[in-house]
Amino acid sequence: MRALGILLRKELLATFGSPIGYTVAAVFLLVLGYTFSLTLFATKVANLIYIFHQMYVLTILLVPALTMRAFAEERRNDTLELLLTAPVGEIWIVLAKFLAVYGLVLAMYGGAFVYVGVLEAYGAPDWGPIGSGYLALVCHAALIVAIGLLMSSLTENQVVAAALTLGASLMLWFADSVAYLLPPPIDSVVLNLSLIGHFRPMVTGSVFVSDIGYFVSGGLLALFLTTRRLAER
Amino acid sequence: MSKRYGSTVALASLDLEINRGEVFGLLGPNGSGKTTFIRLLAGYLLPTAGQLEVCGCDSVEQSLEARRRIGYVPEAAPVYGYMRVREFLAFMARLRGLGERAVRDAVDRVIAALALEPVADRPTRTLSRGFRQRTAIAQALVHDPELLILDEPANGLDPRQIIEIRALIRGLAGRHTVLMSSHVLGEVARTADRVGILLDGRLRGVRAMADTPDLEEWFLSLA
Repeated sequence: MRALGILLRKELLATFGSPIGYTVAAVFLLVLGYTFSLTLFATKVANLIYIFHQMYVLTILLVPALTMRAFAEERRNDTLELLLTAPVGEIWIVLAKFLAVYGLVLAMYGGAFVYVGVLEAYGAPDWGPIGSGYLALVCHAALIVAIGLLMSSLTENQVVAAALTLGASLMLWFADSVAYLLPPPIDSVVLNLSLIGHFRPMVTGSVFVSDIGYFVSGGLLALFLTTRRLAER
Repeated sequence: MSKRYGSTVALASLDLEINRGEVFGLLGPNGSGKTTFIRLLAGYLLPTAGQLEVCGCDSVEQSLEARRRIGYVPEAAPVYGYMRVREFLAFMARLRGLGERAVRDAVDRVIAALALEPVADRPTRTLSRGFRQRTAIAQALVHDPELLILDEPANGLDPRQIIEIRALIRGLAGRHTVLMSSHVLGEVARTADRVGILLDGRLRGVRAMADTPDLEEWFLSLA
């Protein structure tokens, strides 16, 4: 656990010492503020469903920019050799990188919490869907960050890592559309891989263990594969 | 011990013992397998077949314990550019298990030993090649390892810096075991106690420098 703390401190220094994190956070909050204002004026309904869907899309588009450097940069700069020859398990290296990026994404989501305050001040929002919507986003971000780390561990080119993460996330997003073209029982398997299929019920207030399980197990699988990739020597 | 990448043999049936406290020079042309051997010893790679023991620890079964006993300087002398020299050394010391009080003493010790005082508070990305190489060696020594592994330590250094690094390595002999690789014959001849010649992934010979009056002639007879 001490190793995790040491590595996490280093990752936070790298994350907050680089302009990428600030730029991504600024773009995220700017776009969100813009669409929140538009949606609120257009619908005059005190809910955040549209905003949660915006956050869902922005997470898929922006997280690759945060995760792309995680391992790709270490590999390109040869610093990965320093980490992997130090007496620490690969799992701590992966977890530290995950927590640093995930922490930044959660901080971005935290910044968007101001919209809840606006709704509370000027309307009577239904807190149930807002809570479950945030839960959906927290789960969604964990999975996308974990996929990003896995893709970054596969290459030393940051752009390739970002493109792979975006591609994998989009494939998961549209899995339900593909499912209709496939024969049973493959269609139901592919349908259950759908990112939006597990996100949508939660964001509208229906929390199922199966949906949370999808995000958690998907995230853990991606982190496990990343660790295995690092352990391949 | 052997190392293969698919059907490519990087190291074939290498059998070698390095004595405690000596400076061992691994000599060979580019692509001969020096870096592969060094990475195996450092724990960055694992052997495909055979056994590798580092300071009495099996490199596979006791991997973490083996890594705790080594200090490793890769060929590129990598550093984290966003850290200051002192910060980088402290990070590496903590990562190798030193407690907070020991970290400060260890960092001060290696800064003094490698004459890094003028750049101790500078970001590592601003360092010259010579200071960067010294910083990389300092991180490998910060936890006082039994075995120091240096991959091409004189690469990219000017003559004065090469002389300084050579003196530093000679100064470590006895207290530390040092394994250094090089493709420069003169560098190994002036620094090592024993030398091994690696050609096409095979160890062709091992000799004490004291018994090798003409290293160049011996190398050419094997190549």
